[in-house]
Formats: sequence, C-alpha cells, structure tokens
Amino acid sequence: MSGLGRLLRTPAEPAPEAAAEAPELAPPPGPPAAGPRIKATLFYASADGQRMVGVEREVPLAEGTVAQARALVEALLAGDAPAPLSSTIPEGTTLRGVFVSARNEVFVDLDATVRTKHPGGSMQELLTVYSLVNTIVVNLPTVSEVQILINGQEADTLAGHVDLRRPLRKNEGLIVTPDTPTESPS
Amino acid sequence: MPRLAKTLAFVLVSLTAGNGWAQVTNPSLTILSREGRRALPVTVINGQDYVAVDELAAPFGTAAREAAGGLTLTAGGRTIIVTADQTVVSVAGRLVSLPAPALRRDNRWYVPLDFLPRALSPALDTRLDLRRPSRLLITGDLRVPRIVARVESGSASTSVTFEITPVTPAKVGIESGRLVVQFEADALDLAVPTLPQQAFLSSITLADTGSAVNIGTGPRYGAFRSSSSQPDASSSRLTVDLLPATTDLAGAAAAAATAAPDPVRPSVTLTPSTGLRTVVIDPGHGGDELGAQGPRGTLEKDITLAVSRRLRTMIESRLGLRVFLTREDDRTISHDDRSAFANSHQADVFLSIHANAAVRPAIKGAEVYYLSVERADAEARKRAEDAAITLPALGGGTRSIDLILWETAQSRYLEQSSTLAGMIESGLRARVEMSPRAVQQAPFRVLVGANMPATLVEIGYLSNPEQEQQLASAAYQERVAEALYDALVRFRGLLERAAP
Repeated sequence: MSGLGRLLRTPAEPAPEAAAEAPELAPPPGPPAAGPRIKATLFYASADGQRMVGVEREVPLAEGTVAQARALVEALLAGDAPAPLSSTIPEGTTLRGVFVSARNEVFVDLDATVRTKHPGGSMQELLTVYSLVNTIVVNLPTVSEVQILINGQEADTLAGHVDLRRPLRKNEGLIVTPDTPTESPS
Repeated sequence: MPRLAKTLAFVLVSLTAGNGWAQVTNPSLTILSREGRRALPVTVINGQDYVAVDELAAPFGTAAREAAGGLTLTAGGRTIIVTADQTVVSVAGRLVSLPAPALRRDNRWYVPLDFLPRALSPALDTRLDLRRPSRLLITGDLRVPRIVARVESGSASTSVTFEITPVTPAKVGIESGRLVVQFEADALDLAVPTLPQQAFLSSITLADTGSAVNIGTGPRYGAFRSSSSQPDASSSRLTVDLLPATTDLAGAAAAAATAAPDPVRPSVTLTPSTGLRTVVIDPGHGGDELGAQGPRGTLEKDITLAVSRRLRTMIESRLGLRVFLTREDDRTISHDDRSAFANSHQADVFLSIHANAAVRPAIKGAEVYYLSVERADAEARKRAEDAAITLPALGGGTRSIDLILWETAQSRYLEQSSTLAGMIESGLRARVEMSPRAVQQAPFRVLVGANMPATLVEIGYLSNPEQEQQLASAAYQERVAEALYDALVRFRGLLERAAP
C-alpha cells in the first residue's frame, strides 16, 4: 500500500523525522481501581456551557506518557462531571487507543460515537475537542500537542468545524477559573 | 505529522474488521466537448467528490496498469503515477498536489475531481475546465461562459441582469416574437434564480441551440431596453429591462437598438477600481451534513442557506458586487471545495455562515470567528515554502501556490480577517443579541484554505428555543443580513483607503 508512496513523499508531509518515529503502542488497559492514584486536572463544560473549567480529581497513576494519557482520557470519558459542570464528550464514546510520537505529540483515538452522538454546533465542538487536548497537555508536562483520531483514522472535523487534521495545542482562551465566574446567560 | 497519524491509523484499521467507508453517488459530471455531452459518474468518499479512474478510459483514452501499490496511467502519451492514499501524483515526472488522496476501493481506483484539471489536463495537453457548481467539465477550446442571471422586480419594470464570465459578446433581440439573448459561445453554463410571480417576466430558459437564453415575458411586458458594462477584466454584465407597454414604443425600441451603456440603475455603483469586488458566501453544512438541529427540528443547513441568499440579494442590489454562494441548494460539499470555490472565484472576502448549538438550552447570542493558527500549520507553511524552492513545479510555480492554498492560505490574511470579524461583530451587536464571547479565534477547518480575508459567523443558537424561532423568521434573518452587509461596506471602505 505504501511501496510506491515513498517515491512520492510530498512536501506537505515530508517530515523525515516523522517517518523515523516508531509508533509506541499503548499497553492493554491496566487493572482498574486499586493501586496508586494521582491528582489530575480534568476539564468540563462550565455552568453557562460556553467555557471549560478545570477540576481536580483522582485518576490511576500509570507508567509512562501513553498509559497516563490513557488514564486521563478514560477518566474524562467516564463523564461524571461535578454539578453544575457537565461533560463535553458524548455519552458512550469509547477510547480505542492512545499513541505518542517521538516528538511527544499524543494521538487519542476515539470510536465513532464521539461524532455520531455529537449534538453539533461549533461551541460544543470546541469544548469537546479542547477538553481532551487541555486535559492531556495540562497534566503531562512533556506533551504540548494532541491530535484526535476517529475510528483509527485521521479526521477532517468532529462536527463540521474544528480542523482535526493536525495536532492541537492547549487552548487557554476557553478555560475559566471558578474564581472568575463567566457572565451569566440572560 | 499527518503521515504518522495515517501510519498509526492503518495499524488500527487493519485490526478492525469491517471498518466501513461511506460511499455515495453524487450527481455525475457532464463532460462538454466538440463531440457533444457525456456523463462522468462521481462518487463521494469521505465527503470529497471522486471519479473512478476506469471511467476516464472512454472519454479521454487513458490506459491504466496497476503495480506495487500504485497505478500507472497513460494519457496522451504521458505517464501519470497515482499512489494509494497519497495527495500527490506524478505527471510526466512532475509532482502535482491534490486536495485529497487517491484511493483504492473494491478493486477500483478513485481520484479527487481536481485530478482532472490538475493532472489529466497537463498530461493530455488539453484544457479541462472544472465547474463544480454546475457540475461541468469543459474540454479543449470550447467557449462555455458561466452566466448567472439575477432578477430585480419593481412596480414599473423588471430588470434581468446576466453576469457573464469570461467576457463574452451578447446581443438581445426578438426572434419569432420571443425575446432572445444570443451569446457568442459554443454552450452556456447558465444559473437562473427561482422566479417569483412576475408581471413582466415569466421564465428564463436555455434555448435549444444551447448558446442563447430565452426570456419569457409576462402580461404587463410591452418593450425592452438593454445595456451592457464590464465591471472588471474577467466578466461582463448585460442588463435587460422589461418595461410596460407605453405610447412611446418607438422610443423604447430606439433605445434598444442603440443599446447605449447608459446608467440604467443609478442606485448600483459600478466601481471596478475598488478593493472589494467579489464576495463568496458559504452557507454552512448542507446535504447529508445537517449541522445543528433545534428542539423543534429546525436545521442549521436550511437557516444558513436562507440567510446567505438574503445577504447576496442585498449586496448585489445595493453594491453591485459579484456574489457567489458555495452552494445554491441543499447539497453536501467538502470543506476544501468551499474554500477552493472562493479561491477560484478570486473572492476578496469569504464569509461562512453557521448557526450554533450548545448542551445548555439557555445559551444564546451571535459569535464571530476568525482562524487561529496552530504551530503545526506554521511549520507546514514553512515546509511548503522551502519545498517550493527545491522541487520542480508544474507550469513554473503552480506547485508552491497550490500547497500554500490548501494548507495555510489563511495565515497570510489573519490581520484583515480579525478586522473584518470586528466589523461584523459591531454590525451584529447593533441588531441582534450577542454571546458574551462575541469575537473569537478557533482552528476552523473551512477557513484554513481561504486565500482572502475570511470569517465564520455563528448567527445564533438553534439549541435555544427562543432563538430557534428567531433564526427561522424572515425578520431575524434580514437583521443578520443587514449586519453583515454593513460590515462589508465598512470593510470595503478600509480596502479602498488602503489601496493606492
């Protein structure tokens, strides 16, 4: 499938470093519950639904970037947001895999539920995408970029707006701290 | 980076049996040539229009041979090498980029539509002009101008204006008692708006000859007057005024005969020197892609199209600018096709119209976005520019332009886009409720490839019951269109001041 492709490596995607990167496959999900836990900041939609709030919660401690990123995303997908906050990720979405490149970009592979059950709208799409990106980047100091894959494939967008073809950086603008409440919707 | 993701994705896909790929057949493309018309089936894969390579054999005499993950296509004595999942193809040893990868599915090879003008055309050394909105592929030296008809009705007359691209001579006359516009062309690519009930006009149709347009007149019609102008180098404009029967029929006929380019509609300013001449409006979503949905079932794709149409009418009738919509009806269009449409029409402004949704029904208000550029984009742009120096380019330099267009075009216009977003925000604020987060930056897919100032406007929240009702109402849509119109007038002023 990729034999002749090497002859045609494009300048849009030459990244010789990337070619050398070896995929680091995630180990199967470890035993849950018991075991050491760490405090991590998970991001949920704010009460007004237009920004996101970081909440400190306990997640299982895991060895290495891949396993820890997986634990963070699993915790986020569990969806039990503390009131009045709400989860940004469609219920039933499952994590298919997590990878990390040699340049420490984390790839989060979600199943298609994240798209099929998504309510649409750019605001909600931004919250879904960036709650994942922010949760990983804020808690893993070596990681600065996250790319979301859907069903194992690079995706154009999640619901028609946000460009998912490239890794995304942390989005500070969407984060609101609980001390500075957002303007209440009229 | 995308390369790595694909490699990883491949590992996953191969572990998952039955990973489906959506395949839909779209209205086919019509090939226009000296030999006549011929249909070319189009398949939608991953939201992109594709053609099967084997379908090219009959119309273009291509021969294909498969080898080691690739396909060698012989066309016009030249060789095109296509590789599965690659966005570049080699045409007689030169690389040409495509907006989407070539694909091999069910023992057939598929290439995106742009393969035709970008790769097949240079191989055959024949012009292949792809007109997406009218789904035409024009071959060779056929003259097929794009003609967009527009109707403005008044109580005392009706004006039919034809925007003709490229400039094409045309003559208005009466043939067998019918009003006919004859164009110096082999065929016409005609777009006609939906006509309301008219006292002066009953129909605008393509004549059987294919190179003329018949104007069917209504009960009050008595005479016509025509005038032509050339708003810019690439297009001409012909206006036919349908007038009531008067006692001065001779005078009207004389006016028609001389066809003096008098200012027929003084309210329309024809200013070819302005920095804002062409506007492309992008009604968000469409076709299978419904977008957001209100609690009462109002669909985002319908609202965005309605508002876009209102805005077009406003701009055309008051400013006399060229306005194109990326879709005229309810159809699925890929993001790349939307920005490519704006680029190929050399738009000076790109406005993507959307309606929002949120989980909390209380959220409401309009928002304006312009692109935020991620570091990866900046790197891609740098790579594209570096690559432009080192790689051979088809037609001398086309390559670097292509790559910048698709990957990072918008990054050069961020400052202007930000200004435009601010103007839209103040226009909207004067007329409709704004969200607390009125102007924002986001990595929105549809803005990335736009090679001009571009914004995405969320005109309200469909998830809010009150706003759902507003968004569906003519009054609210009109207020939004007025706001956007005002912003464009201000933006035009800015461009004119900036121009020498």
